[in-house]
Amino acid sequence: MTWADTVRLAFRNLGQARVRTALTVGGVSIGIASLSGMVSLGVGLQDQLVDRFTKSGMFDSITVTAMPLGRAGGPGGRLGGRGRAAATPTPSATPAPSATPTPSATPTPSATPSPVPVKLDDEAIKKLSELPSVKAVYPMLRIGVQVKLGDYTEFTTASGVPMAAKEEGAFQSMAHGAFFASDTEDACMVSMDYAKRLADDAGTLVGKTLALSYAVSAKDASAPAGAPVAPGLPALGAAGLQLRRVETPCTIVGIVERETGPALGGASMVTGLMLPLPKARAIYNVQVTNAQSLLRDQAEARTYPSLSVKVDSTRHTQDVEDKIKAMGYSAFSLNDLLQGAKRAFILLDVVLGLIGSIALAVSLLMVVNTMIMSILERTREIGVMKAIGGSDAAIRKIFLIEASAIGFIGGVAGVALGWVLGRVINFGVNIYIERQGGTTGNLFSTPLWLVAGAIGFSILVSLAAGIFPARRAARLDPIHALRHD
Amino acid sequence: MPPALDITHLTKHYRMGHTVVRALDGVSLTVPPGEFVGLLGTSGSGKSTLLNLIAGLDSPTEGTLRVFDRDLAGMSRQELSEHRSRSVGIIFQSFNLISTMTASENVALSMMFAGVPRAEREQRAAALLESVGLGGRGHHRPKELSGGEQQRVAIARALANEPELLLADEPTGNLDSKTSGEIMSLLRRLNEERRKTVIMVTHDPALAARYAHRTVTMLDGTIVSEVIS
Repeated sequence: MTWADTVRLAFRNLGQARVRTALTVGGVSIGIASLSGMVSLGVGLQDQLVDRFTKSGMFDSITVTAMPLGRAGGPGGRLGGRGRAAATPTPSATPAPSATPTPSATPTPSATPSPVPVKLDDEAIKKLSELPSVKAVYPMLRIGVQVKLGDYTEFTTASGVPMAAKEEGAFQSMAHGAFFASDTEDACMVSMDYAKRLADDAGTLVGKTLALSYAVSAKDASAPAGAPVAPGLPALGAAGLQLRRVETPCTIVGIVERETGPALGGASMVTGLMLPLPKARAIYNVQVTNAQSLLRDQAEARTYPSLSVKVDSTRHTQDVEDKIKAMGYSAFSLNDLLQGAKRAFILLDVVLGLIGSIALAVSLLMVVNTMIMSILERTREIGVMKAIGGSDAAIRKIFLIEASAIGFIGGVAGVALGWVLGRVINFGVNIYIERQGGTTGNLFSTPLWLVAGAIGFSILVSLAAGIFPARRAARLDPIHALRHD
Repeated sequence: MPPALDITHLTKHYRMGHTVVRALDGVSLTVPPGEFVGLLGTSGSGKSTLLNLIAGLDSPTEGTLRVFDRDLAGMSRQELSEHRSRSVGIIFQSFNLISTMTASENVALSMMFAGVPRAEREQRAAALLESVGLGGRGHHRPKELSGGEQQRVAIARALANEPELLLADEPTGNLDSKTSGEIMSLLRRLNEERRKTVIMVTHDPALAARYAHRTVTMLDGTIVSEVIS
C-alpha cells in the first residue's frame, strides 16, 4: 500500500464523516490559532522593539575611547577633556611645555614607546575603517562656539554629524526642514529645545543664518583669518600668546526633536547645534579653548575624545567590538543589552506559547476522542480490510494519516484564524493608541517560520493523538471485528 | 502439485471465562487442487472456525495447517495478512462490502493492500466486475445494488489478487432461492473454468449435495462424515 493510496483513503474517510471531521478540525484550528496568535504577539512585540532600537542606531554602533571610561583620569578629565589628555599614556611621553612651539623641535608622542596604540586620531579612524563589517567610523566631536542671531548671542556646544546619520535615530523624522543636503555646505541643524530659545515659532528659523565664532591662535597659519581678540584673555596676551576670533556663517536647514532615552551611540549626536562633520572637524582642529590647547604643537594631529564605529549589521557588533578591544582601545556598545532583551523575548514567547498550548491540549484530546469514535464506528470495516489482506501496519498507517490530515487542515485553518484575530485586535488597539497620541505598529507578526512551524506542530500533535487509537485499530481481532455491527 | 489444503489433527480451543471451548478437536482433512468442498454442520459445529483458520484470520491451538504447502501455524501476523491478501479469497454471508465505496473501489481495495498500482487496479476491477456479470455497474455503491449483485461484487473482490483457494462462508445465506442459484452457478463456473479450489460452509445439505464434489459434515468440532457427490 503506497503513501499516496493511504493519504487518498484517509481524506476519503474524513470526507465520509463530514460533521465530525469539521468539528474536530474546528477544535484543532482554535487550539492552533491561540498558539500561533500568542507566539505572533510575542514576535510582533519583539520586532517592534528591535526595529525601534535598530533604527535608533544604538545597536549597530560602538563607542571607542582611548582608555577604559572609568580609568581615564589626569588633568584632562574624563570624556569631556580634549583627547590629548586621555591619549597620553605616560607623563614622560608628554612634550615639554614650550613658549615657542616649533614643528621640528618637539618629539611627538607617537615616537615614544607605547605599549598599546591608544591615540584616537585620523590614523586610528583609518585603521578601524579597515576592519571587516565596519560601515563607517567618525569622530564624536563636541566643540564650543559662540552663536549669534541678530541681537542674541550665546555660547553653546555643537556636535559634528556625519551624512550617514541621516537614516538614524532622531534624524529620520525632522520636526522642520531637512537633513544636510551635503557635508560641504555652510549649514546647521538645531534641536527643538534650542530653537525655542532662539525664536518663539521654531519653524520660522529654517533658512535663517547663524553666525558662529570661535578663537584660534594668532600664530596658527592654517586657521582662517579673523579679527584679533583684544580683551577677554589678557593673561595670555601678556604671555605673548595671541588669539584671533574667527567667524563663520551657517544656515539652519532643519530642526530636530531631541530623542529621549539613553544618549549613547548614534543618539548622542543630537545637541543644541549640529554641524556637518567635516566643518566641525575643521573648527575642532584649529580652535583654541584653553591654555593647554594654545600651547600644543601645531604639527601634531589632534586626537578625538571618542570615535563612533558603525557596523553593517547588529549581528556583527559583538565581533567588531572584540576586535577593537584587541587593538588596545576601549570599546563599548549596547549590543549586550539587545542580546539580553532578545533572551527575555524568547522567554516571553515560551510563556505565551504555553498559554496558547492550553487550547491546543484540549483540541488534542478532541482528536483522540474523534479517532476512537471513528474506529468504533468502523470496526466492521477494519475487520473487512484485514480479511481481504490489510496488514496491521496498513491499518495503523491509514488511521495515523487520518489523524495527521485533521492536524494539517486544522493547522492551516488555525493559522488563518489566528492571523485574522491578530489583525482585528491590532486594528482595535491601534485606534486606541492613535487616540492616546502614540505611534501605531504591528503588535502581531506572523513570519513564514511561524506559519510553517504552527502547521507542522499541528500535524505532529494530531499524529501523536492518533497513535493510541491507530494502534487499537491495528490490533483489532478480525473475527471479532467482522461480527461487530 | 501439492494439495490445496492439508490439515492434520487441527485443534482450536477458546477460553470463555473459566471454561475452555473446544471449537475444533483434532480435525484432519486433505483437499486436492480444483476440488469443490461443501462444509456442512449445525451452528457451533466448528465449520466456521475451521474456515477462519484456513483463511488465516485466526491461529490454531495445535496441529498443522498447510495451504499449497505453506504452513499457517508458524506464520507471523504480517505473513498471515499476506496469506489473506494473495493466497485466499473470502466470501461472506453478509457480503461485507465497504458501504462508502463504489463496487469497483471495493474490488480495488484488496489490490491496494497487495500493492497493485492504481491504473492497473481500476482496469482489473472493471474486468473482474464484467466477468461476474456486473459490467458497467462499477460506480454504484452497495446500497444501490441488490443482494445478489452485492455478492457478485464480493466474489469479484475475492478474485482480485488471483488466489487459488476461494473460501465461502454461507454465500447464499442472505439471498432468495433464485439469486442463490445464480451465485452458486457462478462459484461452480469459477471452479470448473478457472480451476479455483472452493471450500464452502453451509448448513443446507441439499445445496452442498448439488454443487460440491465432496460434502464434509462436522459436529462438535470433529468431522463425522465425508460424502462424495
